Amino acid sequence: MSAFSLTRLSIVARKEIVDLLRDRKSIFLALFGVAISGPLVVCLLYFVAQSIQGRIEKITAPIVNAQFAPDLVRYLERRGIKVEADPPDYEARVKNGELDVALVVEPNFAEALASGRQATITLVTLSSRERSAPIAGRLTGEVRGYATMIGNERMILRGIAPAVARPVQLEELDLSSVEQRSARFLQMMSFYALFAGLMGAIAAALDVTAGERERQTMEPLLTTPVAVAELALGKWLAVALVNLLAVTASMLGFLIALKLVPLGKLGLPFNFGAREFTGFMAVLIPFAFMVPGVLLAFGAAGKTAKEAQSSLTLAVSLVGLLPLISWLRQTKAPWWDVWVPVNGQFAVLSKVLRAEAILPLEWAAMWAVPALICLVALIAFARRLGDEKMLAGR
Amino acid sequence: MIEIEGLCKRFTVRERTSAFALKASTRIVTAVDNVSFNAKDGEVTGLLGPNGAGKTTTLRMLSTLLSPDAGSARIDGADLVSERAKVRQRLGVLGDAKGLYWRLTARENINYFGRLQGLSLPDSERRTRVLIDELGLHDLADRPTQGYSQGERMKVAIARALVHNPQTVLLDEPTNGLDIMSTRSMRELIRGLKAQGKCVLFSSHIMQEVAALCDRIVIINKGRAVFSGTPQEVLATTGLDSLEDAFVKLIGSEEGLFA
Repeated sequence: MSAFSLTRLSIVARKEIVDLLRDRKSIFLALFGVAISGPLVVCLLYFVAQSIQGRIEKITAPIVNAQFAPDLVRYLERRGIKVEADPPDYEARVKNGELDVALVVEPNFAEALASGRQATITLVTLSSRERSAPIAGRLTGEVRGYATMIGNERMILRGIAPAVARPVQLEELDLSSVEQRSARFLQMMSFYALFAGLMGAIAAALDVTAGERERQTMEPLLTTPVAVAELALGKWLAVALVNLLAVTASMLGFLIALKLVPLGKLGLPFNFGAREFTGFMAVLIPFAFMVPGVLLAFGAAGKTAKEAQSSLTLAVSLVGLLPLISWLRQTKAPWWDVWVPVNGQFAVLSKVLRAEAILPLEWAAMWAVPALICLVALIAFARRLGDEKMLAGR
Repeated sequence: MIEIEGLCKRFTVRERTSAFALKASTRIVTAVDNVSFNAKDGEVTGLLGPNGAGKTTTLRMLSTLLSPDAGSARIDGADLVSERAKVRQRLGVLGDAKGLYWRLTARENINYFGRLQGLSLPDSERRTRVLIDELGLHDLADRPTQGYSQGERMKVAIARALVHNPQTVLLDEPTNGLDIMSTRSMRELIRGLKAQGKCVLFSSHIMQEVAALCDRIVIINKGRAVFSGTPQEVLATTGLDSLEDAFVKLIGSEEGLFA
C-alpha cells in the first residue's frame, strides 16, 4: 500500500465538502453575512457622502452680533448661506455639537472696517469633531473671500493692482485625482474583501477540527489506513473551497451594489468593473487558500473542542489585526510592506482600486507569501492531527 | 490472530495539587505494564478489568492509535509498529470513541470508511448494503445520523468497523449504554463473527457478558495481566464457583469503585 494516495485525499475532501455544505444554517449565515456586508458598506458610504455634500450645500451660518456686519450677512446670503443672527448660548452649543460652528463679529467691527483698521471675526469650532470640519472649512473660505473682495476693491480705488499686495500666489494642485480620492472611500472595500476571506473559513475550520473531536470521530478515522497528510490536505481543500465561495459571493455583492447605488451623482466616480474584479480575485484566491491553512493549524491544537475554539479565536484576531499596520501608518509604505501577510494584501487591493500599476514583485508577494505560510501551517496541522498526545489520557 | 509480548505504555500526567496551585507537577503513570497474551482466530477473547485498569489503552495500542513504549504485538503476523498500514487493513476497530458524522446518513458514514479502507466505490457500496441489511438499519439508512438512538448509533459504528471485512476485530466496551435488546443483538453479532472464524477481542467490566461470550478471558488490573485462560480455568485456579467472586479475588481487592 502506498503511503500517500491522491484517491484517499479526494475521498476525504469530498466527504468534508458534503458534510460542510449540509450544515445549511452555518453555511447560509457565513455566505450571506459576507455577501451582504460589502453592499451594506457601499450603501453606508453612499449615505455618508450624500449627507456631507448636503450639509455643505445647505449650510447655515450662526453669527453673533450679526447687526454689526450687515454687508457680510448680505455677502453670505448671496453665496447661498442662510444666516442665523445671534444664536443664544453658542459656545456651549458648539461644544455639545448642536452647532457645527459659530462666527463672532466684534462689536466695533463696522467702525473698524469703515476706518480702515483691521476688523476681527472669530470662528468658534471644535477641531476634534470630524463632521464639523467641512462646514468650518466652507465658512472660513467664504469669510476670506469676503475679506479679499473688500481688499481688492480698496486697492483698485487707490489705483493699485490687487496683485501688488499678493506677491506670491499659492495655487493648490491636489495630486489625488478624482479617481484616487474616491478610492480612499473604497479602502474600506479592501478591508471587507479580506474580511470575507477570513469569515468564510472560520465556521468550516472549526467544524473539521474541533467538531471532529467533539463528535469523537477522529479516533475511528485514525484507525483506518488514511495517512494524516491525506486527512490534513483533504480538510484544507474542503475548507478553502467553502472560503473561496464566500469570497466570490462577497465580490459579486460589491459588483452588484456598485452598479445599483448612484455614486456617480455625488461626484465620486467609483470604479469596480471587470478589471478591478479580476485584480481582487487574483489577490484573494491565494489569500482564501492561506487562511484555512492557518486556522486549521490553530484549530487542531487542543484536545477538546473548547480548547480548539479558543486557539482558533486567537488566530482570527491575529489575522484581523495585521491590516491595522497600513491603516494607522502616516508615512510612506516601506518596501517590505507587501511582504507582510494580510497587510500586503490590503495594500495591493487598495492599489487595484486606485487604478495604479502593480509591480511583478508585488504579484510575486501576493502568491509566494500565502504559499509559504500555507505550507508551514499545513505541516503543523498534519503533525497535530497525528499527535497521540491529543488522544491519550483524556 | 493477536500476539502480544510485554506491551508497556506510560503517560506523563501534569497535575496541580489544588485548583489554585500555580505550579503543575508531572507524574508518570504506567497505564499498561508488561502485558502479554494471545487471541486466536475463531475465538472470542474477553479483556476484563475494573475501570482504569488499562483495557482501553491496550486496545488503543493494538489499533495503532498509540505507540507502545516497550514490547511488541503482531496482528496476523504483521508488526504493530513497523507494518502499521498492514495492521490497519487487517483490523476492524470499535474504539472508545464511537462518534458518527451527524449530518451524514448511516449509508454515507459506513461508505466513507469503506472507501478509506481501500475498497472500490462499487465494492464499498455493496458491503455497506450488506451490513445495513444484517444490522436491520434499512429503515433509517438514508437519514442523517443526528436523530438516531444510542443503539442505532452503535450499530452504525459497528458496521463502519466491519465494512472492509477485517479478520481481527477489536471492540471496546461494545455494550456500554445499550438496552437489553441491543445488548442481545450485539452478542449475536459477536457470536456471528466467531462463527465466521474471525478473531474477536473485546473489553468489558461486566462479568456476565464475558462469561456468556468468551472462550478465553484476560484479566487486567492496574496495567498488569493478572490472569489468562478459559472461564473454567478461572474457577479452577481460584477454587471459587462464581466468576464474579473469582474476578474479585484475582484483582485482589474488594474495594472496587473506591480502589
